[in-house]
Amino acid sequence: MVKSIIYTTVALLACIILFVTVDIYLERQFDEFHGALETLYAKVEDNDANREDGYAIKEMWADKKSKLHVFIPHNDISYVDYWLNEACGLIYKKEYDLALGKLEVLLEISQNLPDAYTLKLENIF
Amino acid sequence: MALIFVRTTVIFLTLLLIMRLMGKSQVGEMQPFEFVISLLIAELACIPMADTSIPLLYGIIAIVAIFILHQIVWLLDLWFKPMKTVVCGKPSIVINKDGIDEYQLRQNNLDISDLIESMRVAGYFSLDDVYYGLYEANGSFSALENPDRSTSSLSVTLIDSGKADKKNLAVTGIGQEDLDKFLKEQNVKLKQVLVMTVDGEGRVYFQKCGEKYKILNIGVNNKW
Repeated sequence: MVKSIIYTTVALLACIILFVTVDIYLERQFDEFHGALETLYAKVEDNDANREDGYAIKEMWADKKSKLHVFIPHNDISYVDYWLNEACGLIYKKEYDLALGKLEVLLEISQNLPDAYTLKLENIF
Repeated sequence: MALIFVRTTVIFLTLLLIMRLMGKSQVGEMQPFEFVISLLIAELACIPMADTSIPLLYGIIAIVAIFILHQIVWLLDLWFKPMKTVVCGKPSIVINKDGIDEYQLRQNNLDISDLIESMRVAGYFSLDDVYYGLYEANGSFSALENPDRSTSSLSVTLIDSGKADKKNLAVTGIGQEDLDKFLKEQNVKLKQVLVMTVDGEGRVYFQKCGEKYKILNIGVNNKW
């Protein structure tokens, strides 16, 4: 019985540590991505964004998503991929007005996506 | 991650509650929480495996959550006895010295035909073959055998919860008039009869609702 209590306690503690760590990790990853998107948004607003800016943010996201695949549903990652490619495509063509709309969607997603995985009543039910 | 854990917990508790509410007729040979775990584990293991859009970690966390809940329920069972009754239920004595306990049957969502079936599975073909009959918490039927049991033919049910079985009346060769006459002799109406069975020798197990059973006799055509 002592063994069972130890196993249960260890499993429970390991779960709690994992939950907290993953929560912090997701929050941090999406915060960084959101910050980068805001910078790009400001540049696009000033008609100052170029191909390199698009490449940089795509590279940043590619690096993050390889790890995020472990923790969040892959469909959510594909969703970000889709809007990021759309936005970057428009930036490459220097269609800044249209790119702003796509970036706004991305800003919203990067802000709200981590909330979808946090422990909230609306997420449970 | 914590979300998956809590969602799994919610489903576990809901299923457990539902299984407890459904009574012993649905549980089968397992304790309610074991049955819940069996239902969940297969799905939890299967879905993340089959659906590549779901991280495998989600399935692992859910299964670990099930393990932790199983351990907690098991430990509570050991330490806190009333918890065992809450989670696993308790045995129900459905046949006692007065006969069938209709209230206990209803409590477990069972009826007379379920009881007779359980008895047959356990090797008892007449209701008075046992002194005591009970459904264990895991849904299996146990009985304290009547050492004087003398069943040599199959008992058939003529009246079950106030309703006459016309097919069985025909099998036994007992006409409606014979049955009415028999009930009149006992001074009861059909609706008041909880159960009436008869075997090939005309031996009747007769129980009126809320009263002790009687062993009587009736003329049968001895066909079965």
